[in-house]
Parts: sequence; structure tokens; C-alpha cells
Amino acid sequence: MAGGLVLALIAGALVSLQNIFNNRVNAATGLWSTTTLVLGLGFAASFIISLAVEGTATFQLDQMKPWYWISGVIGVGVVICLVQATKMLGPTFAISIVMTSQLGFALLWDSMGWLGLAKVPFTINQLIGVLVIIGGILVFKLGGSQEKQEARKVREGGE
Amino acid sequence: MRGIVFAILGGACITLQGVANARISQDMGTWPAASVTQLTGFLMALVILSFVRDSKQYWVRQVNPLYVLGGALAAPIIFSEVTAIRHIGVTLTISALLIAQLSLTFVIDAGGWFGVAKKRITAAQCIGIAMMIAGVLFLKM
Repeated sequence: MAGGLVLALIAGALVSLQNIFNNRVNAATGLWSTTTLVLGLGFAASFIISLAVEGTATFQLDQMKPWYWISGVIGVGVVICLVQATKMLGPTFAISIVMTSQLGFALLWDSMGWLGLAKVPFTINQLIGVLVIIGGILVFKLGGSQEKQEARKVREGGE
Repeated sequence: MRGIVFAILGGACITLQGVANARISQDMGTWPAASVTQLTGFLMALVILSFVRDSKQYWVRQVNPLYVLGGALAAPIIFSEVTAIRHIGVTLTISALLIAQLSLTFVIDAGGWFGVAKKRITAAQCIGIAMMIAGVLFLKM
């Protein structure tokens, strides 16, 4: 249990770093150059580690089901959706909704046990927990954003 | 309205990505699974890039190599996320992941690290993170 939590925290911290680094690359190049570069480097790193850890088992693809090949396309879907949402809603609102949706679907997935993952039974505590976390995200993202927006309006008005 | 649909779909895709990686890793091991999903994602992005061609010139010289190499972080991210999902389920994994993600971003913003514009810590942000941690305690009850 504790090990799983620690790994999830590490993943989250690394996602935060990666977002900042990607934004830097994105500002200097372009969205699709960045996406291609990030996925290419991610593949290279995973492949090298896979060779080191699993050796030739890396190439034993007999367990592969056809849908595994399209799983990577989901990552491209993420980029398209996030960029469009951010364009239309601004980053604060877009990311608030994205994170809420992430958690909602996580709970749905655990409860349904789709794709053959171990089912985590749905309890009222889980629902309360997820709602409190979503409340926390909204307070974090939107709390005090009013004054920022007003400041922006003033700035834009002055230009 | 369309923006909200895109945001909901985006969030669904992020969770689905973790779940799909966890499922695939059950069959072929975590590192080969991470390689396959990113290879297909990379090829798809390459096709789109060849149509869009959004690359500006001389970019390699402008970007700090540390930021470019950030792409390789996907390997430990996928490994950690997949292992966590298999041990503690999707909900708890995504919850802890989001707490760490928001907390570190908040610390980096406050410190102005990596050249980000320094931002003041607000009470709302502290309350928000406290609420998220409280929510995780509920999940574990």
C-alpha cells in the first residue's frame, strides 16, 4: 500500500517537472515538434531500460493484442484535447476540469474493473473522498483567481 | 461549451492512458509496454508534425538541453504510475499523483525555479492541497 502511494507521488512530481520542461521546449519550437520530441525520447528511454532489464524478452511480442498498437494514440488525443480546452477556457479553468475528469474516470474505472484490471469496490467513502479532492483542486485553482483576472483586465484595458 | 467537452475528454484520456499502460504491462512487462505505447504515440505525432511543420528554425540552440531531455522523464513516470495502479487501484493512484503534481508546481512557482515567473503563495492554494490530502484519507478508510 505505502509503496504504491510513494510511486504515485513520485509520478506526480515528475509530471510537474515534465510539464514545465515541455512548456519551455514548446515556447521555443512548436506544439507538434515538442510532442514528437517528448514521445520519441520517452520511447528511447523506455526501450533502453527494457533492453537492460528484460533483455531479449523485449522483442517477444506474442502476447501483443492488436489494440496495444493504438494505445499510444491516446497520448496524442491528450495533447489535442488539452490544447483546444486551454485555448477556449484559459489554463486555469481548463486544468481544473481536466483534473476533475481524471479523478471521475478513475473512480468509474475502479468501480467497473474495465479492461480486466482488478475491481476496487465502490463505497460511499470513496465518493466522498473524490468529491473532497475535487473540491481541493477547485479551491487551489480558482480560489483567489478573481483578483488575478481583474488585474489582467486592468492590464489589458491599459494597453 | 466545446472547451469543456475537450477538457473532460482530455482528462478521460489521461486516466485511460494510465489504465491501458497498466493493462498492457500485465501481459508483457512494464518496460516493453511503455516502449510500445510511446513508439506508437511518437509515430502518430511524427505523421501530424509532417503535415503541420510547426518547428521554428534554430530551436535546438535556444533551448536548455535539460528541458529537451525532460521527454525521457516519461519512462519513470509510466513505470511509477503503472506499478501504483496495479498495487493501489486507479483512484488512489490518480489522487496521490495530482497532489504531488500540484504541490511541486506550487513550490516551483513560489521559488521561481527553472526560470518560471515567481508567484506568491495564496491561502487558497494551501487550503486546496490540505483538502486533497483529506480526501485521500477518506479514500483509504
